[in-house]
Amino acid sequence: MIVFIIILIFFTPFSIYSPGENRNRGVVTAIGIDRLQDEYEVSLLTFIPTANQSYQEKTSVISGKGESVADAIYNAQIAMGRKIGLSHAKTTVVNESLLEEDVASTVDYLSRVASLPENTVFVCTNKSAKQMLEQSHDLVDDLGLKLEQIIGYNANNIYITDTSLEAFYKGYYSYVKSSIIGYLTIEDDGNETEEISEISGAQKTNEGQSEGTQGSANTSSQGGGKQNEHIVNQGQAVLLKSGRKVALLDIDQLNGINLLNPKSVNQIITIDGVEKDGQTFTMQYKIKTKKTLTTTKFENGYPIYMAQLILGVELVEINGEHDALRVNTEFSEITPEIEEKIEQKIKEQFTTSLKILRDCNSDVIGVGRKFFKDNRREFVKFMDTIGGQSQAEKFINYVTFKLNIVVQPD
Amino acid sequence: MKQISIRQCGVIIVMCIFANKILLMPSLMYERTSADSIFVMLLLFLLDFVMLPIFIKLKSIYPDKKFYDILKERLGTFVTKVIYLLLLAFFFFKCLLVFSITYVYFKQQIYQDEFIFLALIAFLPVINCAVFNGIRAFSRTIEMFFWIVITGFVVCLAISLFTPISVPLFFMSSAKDFLYSMHNHIFAFGDFIFLFLVMDRIDFKKGSIKRLYGYALGGIFLVTLLFYLFYAKYQMTAFMHNNALADLLVFSVQFNAIGRLDIIAMLTIMFITLFQMEIFSFAFCDCFVNIFPLNKTFAVVVFDILFCLLYYVFIGRYETMVMSSLFWLPYLAIFINYILPILMLVLIFIKTRRDKLEKED
Repeated sequence: MIVFIIILIFFTPFSIYSPGENRNRGVVTAIGIDRLQDEYEVSLLTFIPTANQSYQEKTSVISGKGESVADAIYNAQIAMGRKIGLSHAKTTVVNESLLEEDVASTVDYLSRVASLPENTVFVCTNKSAKQMLEQSHDLVDDLGLKLEQIIGYNANNIYITDTSLEAFYKGYYSYVKSSIIGYLTIEDDGNETEEISEISGAQKTNEGQSEGTQGSANTSSQGGGKQNEHIVNQGQAVLLKSGRKVALLDIDQLNGINLLNPKSVNQIITIDGVEKDGQTFTMQYKIKTKKTLTTTKFENGYPIYMAQLILGVELVEINGEHDALRVNTEFSEITPEIEEKIEQKIKEQFTTSLKILRDCNSDVIGVGRKFFKDNRREFVKFMDTIGGQSQAEKFINYVTFKLNIVVQPD
Repeated sequence: MKQISIRQCGVIIVMCIFANKILLMPSLMYERTSADSIFVMLLLFLLDFVMLPIFIKLKSIYPDKKFYDILKERLGTFVTKVIYLLLLAFFFFKCLLVFSITYVYFKQQIYQDEFIFLALIAFLPVINCAVFNGIRAFSRTIEMFFWIVITGFVVCLAISLFTPISVPLFFMSSAKDFLYSMHNHIFAFGDFIFLFLVMDRIDFKKGSIKRLYGYALGGIFLVTLLFYLFYAKYQMTAFMHNNALADLLVFSVQFNAIGRLDIIAMLTIMFITLFQMEIFSFAFCDCFVNIFPLNKTFAVVVFDILFCLLYYVFIGRYETMVMSSLFWLPYLAIFINYILPILMLVLIFIKTRRDKLEKED
């Protein structure tokens, strides 16, 4: 009882006279980092808790400049007039130019500030990170769509991997020193427009890409007379090696990288020149299910990666003479010709992606890890022949892939 | 003499097993022995576990005798006081280490700024109260909250299964690293030694030994599971995560919108820390009153002064404390964890032999 009273005596004045935390803190929901000529600019998408009669969060972008990221955040804090709370920061955006050098040194401050959640989405943008945050601010206001939701969609459906700060570090500290992070672009259509919000439909960037998952969320800049800039999500990602950008991957390349991942489905495959009754059609198939069986072995001392893929596909679109199509319901069956073409297309996609990974010594698909797990003794022996464990990142260059693809209607 | 039941004794053991192992240790261990740290930990637990049958045997030979009196009878007052002085230091530093790690955790998660004054006010009166009221009172409190704490612990582990995990790579470290890691982290172990101090206050009944083993094995299992899931989730970046139990709750991008469910870990850690500090400070005070001709009030005051002084002025600071636990405190732990039980074993042997000879005569 005495202890309770003592505690009460100590804490009651504190509780009564201490101001609310919301008066001292600004809650940062996203961080943007840009490299200016000789300094950093850190922009903070900040939610300042204030009483209002709507359910809408009032956010604003506040930035600070400094010699280091810590310095810039400190200056942003001064500009805000409040301490910053990073616990709710769900997105970290960096400008593409920062990826020319080891980006880990740029985000070092964020990883040392333990209050920043590890699941913070790590995104790169072609223009300034500040612009990205401003656009995302408008995106939330107009469409209720947040950056982390866009990247979350990509992570689930296209990258098939986390693109958080944590995932970046996992790759960075792995033996291959490689990771994949999300990439969003800011584009302007050159028009000066009034304030309009829109979500544009599917856009086709180049032949063969999967249009189904591609789209762009557009929102105009606020205030008439400005360029109509908008965030475009093309499902792209950046491949990083030792924290530096080594390749910008499009959806096809990402699909190729994820070919052996059973979670990677819904990809659209376009097959040209399918002949039926003397007419030529372009057919589009969607991968609905994927089963993978993989095994590794060493043959004559060389690593062989064998995989069998059983793809359940569905015909989703036919482009051609529709008069004929109306009567030809047998189109849904997969002929050996179509099967061969799908197989060829997938193998091409995989070969292209594999070439990128080999050129960059970036085994992000974990081939080396699988060999290490399944054939450790032979793996270690093989590594000795190519120069020891320090060469582990180059292991993927020596692996022969044998793919057996079975295509069947879903 | 107020006695504690075997169930209360069991929950105290589980709290001791959790001490200094559920936040920082998995990350510290990973730096040297990567995922093989699980084996290091299991081996240290195994060595600790040997202490349990020794304790049970000693308790069966001297059912109502104080540990201090047993030592005094066989080794004399001076040696006993030296041993108790070492035990006092052992429990004091354990308490300080638990507090340092938890303090830094809460500073990172909630307060962002220093709040040492607040933390000391929040913890010390409760701990002092527990010591004053005796082992029976605080063991009943622990017993009351036990399943809440265990549920929080299990929820933290279970939620980690919703994020991508993969089997960690084992057998990556050398024997030298393995032994070095064992030596470095020995101070976090020695969990059963507390039982010796309170052996006269434990109510041993028929069939209760099995329950004691059950609690000990349960605690070890939970810590092992925590290590495994932590390494399976973080792998290469495990060294960056200093709060294992709490970090297991951090969601992946897919769950980003849910918010801060780490409040579950915070509450669990808060209770566990409080109970551990109660146990260790009780052990400190018990040793103190046996060494010096002073009463419990003095012991509590000395504990508080030493605690505040050492924490605030010198050693209690997080980095210094953690470094101490890795470099010089292991030497103290070697004595307490291994040499003392061997000594007990010798005493048991002598006593059994004498009894046998007396019977024969």
